[in-house]
Amino acid sequence: METCFSVKNLNLYYGDKQALKNINMEIMKNQVTAFIGPSGCGKSTFIRCLNRMNDLIEGCRVEGEVIKDDLDIYSPKQDIVDLRTRVGMVFQKPNPFPMSIYDNIAYGPRCQGLKDRKQLDEIVVRSLKQAALYEEVEGHLDGSAMGLSGGQQQRLCIARCIAMSPEVILMDEPTSALDPISTSKIEDLVLELKKNYTIVIVTHNMQQAARISDVTAFFLLGEVIECDKTDVIFSHPNDVRTENYVTGRFG
Amino acid sequence: MSRNVKDRLLQASTYISSALSVIVLAAIIIYLVVNGVSSLSMHLLTGDYYASTANSGVKSDYVYNEPTASYDGEGYYSSKWGIAVEDIVTAHNDEELSVTYVDPNSPFAHMESLVAGQDGQDSALGVGDLIQNVYYEDASGETVFLSKVRMGDAENLIMTLDNEAVAIVSCNFEGLGGGIRGSIIATLYLIVISLVISLPIGIASAIYLHEYANKSKINKLIRQGIDTLTGVPSIIYGLMGVAVLFPVTQLVGATSTSILLGGLTLAIILLPTIISSTEEALIVVPQSLRDGSLSLGATKSQTIFKVVLPCAINGILTGVLLGIGRVIGESAALVYTTSTVISDNPGILTQGTSLSLMIWSIMSGEQPNYQLASAISLIILVIVFVINFIVKIIGKRLARSFM
Repeated sequence: METCFSVKNLNLYYGDKQALKNINMEIMKNQVTAFIGPSGCGKSTFIRCLNRMNDLIEGCRVEGEVIKDDLDIYSPKQDIVDLRTRVGMVFQKPNPFPMSIYDNIAYGPRCQGLKDRKQLDEIVVRSLKQAALYEEVEGHLDGSAMGLSGGQQQRLCIARCIAMSPEVILMDEPTSALDPISTSKIEDLVLELKKNYTIVIVTHNMQQAARISDVTAFFLLGEVIECDKTDVIFSHPNDVRTENYVTGRFG
Repeated sequence: MSRNVKDRLLQASTYISSALSVIVLAAIIIYLVVNGVSSLSMHLLTGDYYASTANSGVKSDYVYNEPTASYDGEGYYSSKWGIAVEDIVTAHNDEELSVTYVDPNSPFAHMESLVAGQDGQDSALGVGDLIQNVYYEDASGETVFLSKVRMGDAENLIMTLDNEAVAIVSCNFEGLGGGIRGSIIATLYLIVISLVISLPIGIASAIYLHEYANKSKINKLIRQGIDTLTGVPSIIYGLMGVAVLFPVTQLVGATSTSILLGGLTLAIILLPTIISSTEEALIVVPQSLRDGSLSLGATKSQTIFKVVLPCAINGILTGVLLGIGRVIGESAALVYTTSTVISDNPGILTQGTSLSLMIWSIMSGEQPNYQLASAISLIILVIVFVINFIVKIIGKRLARSFM
């Protein structure tokens, strides 16, 4: 099995406050890796390290290495814009642009300079089909994306991400703002997408992690307490803190 | 005092205050309408401010012909000489004799100028001209001078000409002045010049301040400076315009104060308004949209121009609207920069007055003209209303095409 990200001695500071402490982790290709842990434990911060979205936060400083394809993504040689085309992201709250459904999905490819209408049409339809949204929006692609339901909007965001044909999709609590039906649709989608993409997902919902992930990492106070196969984490974890968390004794 | 009474009193005071402000505004508009509405006419909008005067004589090769057709419109008609005249009162409160019709065969339609330097040029009497005096030849062959006093009213003039004149010799007449066409054009020039300059600069500055600038001390200082500029009295901008910007306009050929200079000065006055309204609009754009765009591999500038700015368009248009309002209402900054000389044919490099400054000009003379000032004020109100409406519609269209 190939490694997608290899994280070595990663420390992250917001100003003086250390948010991530000495993280070491291998994230494998074509697997679903879930990050669980209580609020404020650094799992969202960590996932944003993987496509350098933390760069946008003022006073944020990163030490250590995140190696992808033999290159440290924090080295000056790394083109950040190029990195983000290969490592896409879906956010906690659906954030479609206030444009048409079509324009939302064509946004990424257009930013890369693609103008050919035929190619764009093809990308839009393929992405919507992969995100299991095509049947619901077929026929009104030029309608506003803001008119979709929350669950549809989140799948639109996933489709928008897929349109870039990334290698990795980072999902930061993608279902926390959705109802159970929309959530199960997205979970099915994740299982479907893992055939073609590497998926990293942050979740508060432990059942969700158990249902969809292959590997689970447990975060606590900025440290990775344990990272192992999902069934190991949920059935007989090594660390007592992990056990306490997954059995619901704290957190 | 019980809590209830206190509450009622507070409530009543808000009612009274808002009623008072509504009454004051209504009173101003009613005053303007009552005073100004009688001066409103197409001539006011399209005419010259300065009355042109002419002294014209009938051409030597003119041969008398009967008027082609009979006329039954406004005024008293002379079937012999083919002109119709009516009594009017001008915007300046003068009683005048206004021409309402000139027949193509009339001697008044075949006149040339007698003014030195222009003699020989065609200078026929036209509809709307005000007759000042007439020279005619009577039956004994003598030339008779019909002064303004002797002309009397329109009926008397026509009767005298019909009964006593055997030929028309010459005539003095004036165009109807008091029009504001020149000032309307100058105002539009000022709006266009100031917005063309201040919009791109203002929007770009706001983008820098909100999207790129870090929270360093220098940037804080810049922001504070911009906020302070909003409160600087506009007469100071006017002084600065003459002192600093006049040499700039000299580079493109201005020899005196000019509309270009006024436009540049107004552009600087507008900058803080446009920067702050654009920045406020940018603040409202959710960070999640920027994150979404960047996570799709868009560059920072693509994010700003494709996502952030279109979302902020309504706020930016509000800035434009405030800007236009400021340009239309500004007078102090223009006193030194465009001059207070009313111009009928303003150009970018010549002097002229905006509508507001024109009010200042006509009210500062020895005989303030309240009617004309009120009429101009009404027109300003209408222009502001129309521009407001147009910008709102554009905003809705843009928002819809984006949604």
